[in-house]
Amino acid sequence: MTALDDTPAGPAEAGQVAAPDEAVGARGLLRALLRNRLAAAALVVLAIFVVVAVLGERLAPYGRNEVSSADKLRAPSLEHPFGTDQLGRDVLSRVLIGAEPSLRVGLVAVGIALVAGVVLGLVAGYYRGLVDDVVMRCMDVLFAFPAILLAIAVMAIRGRGATNAMIAIGVVYTPIFARVTRASVLTVREQVFVRAARSIGAGDLRIMTRHVLPNVAAPIIVQTSISLAFAILAEAALSFIGLGTQPPEPSWGRMLADGRGFIQDAWWMAVFPGLAIFAVVLSFNVTGDALRDALDPRQRSAIESAAGRG
Amino acid sequence: MTRYLLRRVGQSVVVLFGVSVAVFSIIHLVPGDPVRLALGTRFDQRTYDALVARAGLDDPVLVQYVNWLGNALTGDLGVSFRSGRPVTELILERLPATLSLAFGAIVVALLIAVPLGLVSALRPRSAVDYVATFVSQAGISIPDFWLAIVAILVFSLTLGWLPSSGYVGLTEDPVEWARHLVLPAVVVGTVSGAVLTRFVRSSALEALGEDYTRTARAKGLPRRVVIGRHVLRNALVPVVTVTGIQLAYLLSGVVIVEVVFAWQGLGQLALQAVETRDYPLLQGAVLLFAVFFLVVNLVVDLLYAVVDPRISR
Amino acid sequence: MIRTPRASALAATVALLAAAACSDGGDDVPVGGEEAGSGGTFVAAISAQPDQLDPHQTTAYASFQVLENVYDTLVVPNPDDLTFEPSLATDWETSEDGLTWTFTLRDDVTFHDGSELDSADVVYTFRRIIDEELQNAYRFATVEDVRAPDPTTVEFVLSEPTPNLLDHVGSYKGVAILPEGAAEDLDLATEANGTGPFRLEDVGADGITLTAFEDYWGEGPGVDEVEFRFISEPTTALTALQTGEVHWTDNVPAQRVEELQGSGDVTVETVPSVDYWYMAVNFARPPFDRAEVREAIALALDREAIADAAQFGLARVNQTAIPEESFWYHDYAPYERDVDAARDLLAEAGVEDLTMGLMVTDEYPETVEVAQVIAANLEEVGITVDIQTEQFSTWLDRQGAGDFDAFLLGWLGNLDPYGYYHSQHVCEGENNYQGYCDPETDELLERAATEADEDARKELYDEAAERIVDANSYIYLYNPSVVQAWTDEVSGYELRPDRAINLETVTLS
Repeated sequence: MTALDDTPAGPAEAGQVAAPDEAVGARGLLRALLRNRLAAAALVVLAIFVVVAVLGERLAPYGRNEVSSADKLRAPSLEHPFGTDQLGRDVLSRVLIGAEPSLRVGLVAVGIALVAGVVLGLVAGYYRGLVDDVVMRCMDVLFAFPAILLAIAVMAIRGRGATNAMIAIGVVYTPIFARVTRASVLTVREQVFVRAARSIGAGDLRIMTRHVLPNVAAPIIVQTSISLAFAILAEAALSFIGLGTQPPEPSWGRMLADGRGFIQDAWWMAVFPGLAIFAVVLSFNVTGDALRDALDPRQRSAIESAAGRG
Repeated sequence: MTRYLLRRVGQSVVVLFGVSVAVFSIIHLVPGDPVRLALGTRFDQRTYDALVARAGLDDPVLVQYVNWLGNALTGDLGVSFRSGRPVTELILERLPATLSLAFGAIVVALLIAVPLGLVSALRPRSAVDYVATFVSQAGISIPDFWLAIVAILVFSLTLGWLPSSGYVGLTEDPVEWARHLVLPAVVVGTVSGAVLTRFVRSSALEALGEDYTRTARAKGLPRRVVIGRHVLRNALVPVVTVTGIQLAYLLSGVVIVEVVFAWQGLGQLALQAVETRDYPLLQGAVLLFAVFFLVVNLVVDLLYAVVDPRISR
Repeated sequence: MIRTPRASALAATVALLAAAACSDGGDDVPVGGEEAGSGGTFVAAISAQPDQLDPHQTTAYASFQVLENVYDTLVVPNPDDLTFEPSLATDWETSEDGLTWTFTLRDDVTFHDGSELDSADVVYTFRRIIDEELQNAYRFATVEDVRAPDPTTVEFVLSEPTPNLLDHVGSYKGVAILPEGAAEDLDLATEANGTGPFRLEDVGADGITLTAFEDYWGEGPGVDEVEFRFISEPTTALTALQTGEVHWTDNVPAQRVEELQGSGDVTVETVPSVDYWYMAVNFARPPFDRAEVREAIALALDREAIADAAQFGLARVNQTAIPEESFWYHDYAPYERDVDAARDLLAEAGVEDLTMGLMVTDEYPETVEVAQVIAANLEEVGITVDIQTEQFSTWLDRQGAGDFDAFLLGWLGNLDPYGYYHSQHVCEGENNYQGYCDPETDELLERAATEADEDARKELYDEAAERIVDANSYIYLYNPSVVQAWTDEVSGYELRPDRAINLETVTLS
């Protein structure tokens, strides 16, 4: 399955993704994940970060932009467990407060890609023919642009900042979701239960949402988890070139990018936000991997996500 | 087979056409007058008129597109707003650095991915597998610019083994070319390698479960032969595809690693073009990236069809 | 005009042969020329790639780092006190009425192509800048004519006295002297034909190479070749210096200076620069049109913390523009941080819940740092600051269009008070984006521009500066230092307050 492959029976698609009758329920899924010890640990880490993101400011001992030139570049101590940055701000507080913007960029960006990609992929795979050709060729065009550059170009047109970063990252990941969805839809649309629904006169919309979508959910869920990991990294990369979250708002990517010049004098400035990124991204990756083992034994999403790295 | 080939080439041409329209639109999508924006405060009417005329921006849009595409097909991508030099020249100047890094990184990625992926596939759910999984997952979870900076501080500054930055031409000095290439290639290759490892593992697992493997084993062939002849070969076919896609991405320049290593490749050029609003340069670079991507994909697909005739039926 | 390219090319060949003959005797002994240079390639890491190399067209500092060594100007600022001294012109005098300046040129100067410098080249240069309305045309608004009565004499005829003409014809290489017809004969964006110590050899993506010009009229050059490499990431540039891959860099993070100076691996020097950084608010946007609001902002700022955030103790707080090393420095600092007074002023003006957009750019990362301190300072007096980081090109557009509440930026490389104050603060000034307009300040600045007596001129500028500071046309913040570092192989390099990178006398051991 490569960028332009149009044949439903490509090598990685020779089998089918989680046959409809096996569609795993949410509880079964969770059980499968918890059986995998690595994935269980990852879920716990993610849960902790979500709590931190929700509580954010209430957990932080200091404010997000409490500068104090007298306290700059202090090493970790009881007063400042993660030290202070070049403006004398408490790094622990900023890491805690930074959880929310960092996760939000990832979630919203992937949310955009998920909705747009799934709708397009569903329509293309369900109707096939001209609609399919037009939609998928458009996705191919989008896919042919290098991801980071596409994001930079989107921001050059729309301006910088967290909102535009989300849109930019979302646009970049849309074609991947469209393809994963379409490929699965192709295998499902000819199944007996879909034909049956059609024969009793169910409308297209109803068939798509009631019968097709639930049965193609597995690879999409896997792709979502992996894309979340990449989206958080992408925000860090955009922050490196100054395009991501804007100061004084503390996103982890921004803090890591700002801390890189201080690595020899004040390692704590970069190491703590860096560890936060590492933990979250690793957790999303491990979860995605475990989900894939459980849901998508033919590894379709592995190929797509490999292709999606820019 | 011929039909498949023709259809794939045809699709690529259609997509390329779409890409060219998209790239061409960049200059018209930007809010405001692109030349005015490019000039910023350096604005004066003469330079403005000259740039507009040179970029053909006073023609009707359709005429502009046809001219631009026609010129692009003959290798003329226009003139950079910022430096006044031909875009093609600017791109060609940087191509060797980008090619070196892309191929260097792919080699590193395969050196990491193939052994690691195979080892974990052969002993699934063993300690080796868990370690390999963790290592490759960790590899994808670190921002590349961070890896790059740490690599420079460790291998250049502290250990003094390798130069920190810059590109030396292969023809100029092959030894220095290689020495300068190592750090950036390892950084980029580690990330690509981590992606590939997961993939090698799963395709090897799949091949191990196939009938032919079981048959070969049942026939009593030595394990080494089974793995070498049956598993490896079959597992590597899809790996080639993913490697191809990775290569296509690397050829578009790895913007951020290039910045850190002062590697004067296409990624930095494109970034510069965005920052200085050098639209002809941006269009040229992006068009080239898309062509790279489509060509590599086409080649990989065709190779694939040759290896596995099922696809082209 | 008489030019003898062939004859001088011949002379150059002879000189080369002679040099070759000298060195023939001892191939194994390092060849020391009269310039005491031992040759070699000097490698400099600069942080950006020059956009183009036409000295009259480019505005990029990176370009001037290179051009400094390729071209010359009529006069040059002395590295110590930045007063002007002879370069291509040996002498100059001003007529009684101040309306005619006469420059006498050196007669031993050749361009890199071997042709000789004469007055026609100088006339061509200034005609090009003025007639084609290039970058620096505004500097010559009072110039009515540039003429060449004889090959070594150039006259500037002025419409009114211009006491700072030397600044206009020599403060930096943006007014470099080109040979007649250069713009037509060469592609000046990538080619050069100057009179400086080095000729432009190669311009590529990886770097720019200069080679020593044997017929240079001054002393030096002391190295055979100069290579400029572009390294934007400071950690990388510094590592390249510490490992000896490059000899020199100006891409040194301020926070590393103290430690590097202590370590002794490399030489790190700093010198107070002529630059200043400031904040300006938009007079056209209420409530920033009110003097109390601007004063409240000025009083709310913790200037020490701002300078510290900008350059880690290397920047010096200054409430006017001109640094204290300059003859033109005026000691005037009316503001001291007073949060209560600032609050009172805002209350007096009836301003509540004020949100101020503050435009900064990561082209100059210090603006982003400083903005965060300003945001924290102003929050204490009840003003919410919305920091808007823009690409520099966008930043400039917004500045030009007046689309801002406030912005942070600096002015680099000014030497004369005219450069520091005039176009920024006269009502119709081309750089008066903030929209300050005060007839009395205008009058003072206009008089100062044409006042021939230095002391009288300084008094006028001092008075104007006080009015500007009192009205907070600019809220002046600090003067930064120039920071550069080089390896122990380098000798003869001198750090300059105007950031010019002059490699004429540099040698390598």
